[in-house]
Amino acid sequence: MSTHHERMRDLLAAWAVGALAPADEKTVPLHLAECEPCAAEAERLRETVRLLDGPRRPVPADGTADGVLALALRSRPPAPRVARHAAPYAAAVAGLRSLLREVEGRGPWGTPVVHDWDVHATVAHLIAADEPLARCLGLAARLPEPAGAEETPWRDAWAARTAEVIAYEHRRPPEETVATWSARAGALLAAPEATDPERAAHAITLMGARLPVADHYVVRAFETWIHTDDIGRALGMTVPPPPDPHLRRLVRLAVRVLGTALGPTAPPVLFAVAGGGPGAQWVLGSEDEPVRAELVLEPVDFCLLVGGRYAPGEVPRGATGDAAAIGAVLERAASLAWL
Amino acid sequence: MRVEPTLSDAELHRRLVYGDESALGEVYAAYGGLVRRVAVRVTRSPAAAEDVAQEVFAQLWSRPYAFDARRGTLRTWLSMLAHRRAVDWVRGEARQRKDTHADDAALHAIPDAAPGPDETVVDRERSLLLHTALAELPQPQREVVHLAYFAGRTYRQAAVELGIPEGTAKTRLRAALRRLAESLADPPDPAWERGA
Repeated sequence: MSTHHERMRDLLAAWAVGALAPADEKTVPLHLAECEPCAAEAERLRETVRLLDGPRRPVPADGTADGVLALALRSRPPAPRVARHAAPYAAAVAGLRSLLREVEGRGPWGTPVVHDWDVHATVAHLIAADEPLARCLGLAARLPEPAGAEETPWRDAWAARTAEVIAYEHRRPPEETVATWSARAGALLAAPEATDPERAAHAITLMGARLPVADHYVVRAFETWIHTDDIGRALGMTVPPPPDPHLRRLVRLAVRVLGTALGPTAPPVLFAVAGGGPGAQWVLGSEDEPVRAELVLEPVDFCLLVGGRYAPGEVPRGATGDAAAIGAVLERAASLAWL
Repeated sequence: MRVEPTLSDAELHRRLVYGDESALGEVYAAYGGLVRRVAVRVTRSPAAAEDVAQEVFAQLWSRPYAFDARRGTLRTWLSMLAHRRAVDWVRGEARQRKDTHADDAALHAIPDAAPGPDETVVDRERSLLLHTALAELPQPQREVVHLAYFAGRTYRQAAVELGIPEGTAKTRLRAALRRLAESLADPPDPAWERGA
């Protein structure tokens, strides 16, 4: 049991800086009047605070936010203002740039990330992965398109192109690889298709998927974020999930692609994304039969599953009903991964 | 120490990471005043405080990963960064002064940072010594000082914000202030004047 004196003594520093709780405001001065050691310490601490304070002078008027923040915005441009379909990609690019700034300071470019890629190779892979959309939008490819690309199945062409770009980039300093990726990403975001929804409405086939250009921007956001998360995990840094409106957009696109992949005859499963409200549930599979099961996933987990970062059996989920139907949905979702 | 990040800090951090300019404006609106108060208390110069505030928000924006919402609140992080930068500014000024004038009385030559009429040169020097010592306190102590002293929180509020028991907040605050008081009694480490 502490004595009254000990309790008062422990409050002296709070008293000296004016941080007492209202209940103590009266008791401390009373104690100081009758306890010499405490009064001496209090005096010493208050003198310390007086020196820290310096003379009381008027607090400077707050400068304008614009003035103070100008330096910040010069040191890092904000995500560019683009149409809603490209906003998730603009944010994902800003997010990877800010993570790579941390790598530039510390230099762990050779840290293993995913597959047999290190941090450097993961950025190189994104250069290859951004290329098909860039080419479709008429942004000059940095390297000529490989011969015979048209006859090769897209997954093979995709893998070959990634290997080729990684081999090329590994001969360059990582900072140059980052600069190349960053410039290409900037060009994709500066393209008219990024700001004008009408120009982004026509469908093109990239990586085996025929989607409007607007959706291909969402796919770029998805992949850029997944690889940013990969790099963050490898380096022990927590990458926050994309802002909620962007995450919802990624989820909606993934659900659509998953629904198409499952086809109209699969056993129907009611699929919901946790916290998404009534708008965030869908019946996957056949519309002509009663729902066999219900599946609930966190939005980030669903994205990681579709991105191949969870095995179907391992993703945290809420599931009721026909286990085989649930299993089929999870297997199919994981099989969409190409990242 | 790990604390559960407050939702709004984690959310602000997320938006900063993803390049959302409006998040920077919100952080400034919430903490710009605190950052300036801390900086002016150390530098005694509104112009220097403005520079420090610019640097602090540029650091947060350009290196958002330097802030980790699981390790503390944005309020303490910004306050501690502002203090560190302000102490560095004063050290830089002191160094420059030594380079250009052999004479210690040249403290008066720092434009608009000279002791005011009610502060003696000795007090000003002791104050700088204290702020330097404060910047070097162990982080758990420094956080409590920042909340209780600069941010005007009671020790109870500071305990809640830091996710520590009240008793621990009191103990840390007392240990910190005693250490500062002792730094006045001890001869200063000459390293600080060299900016080491």
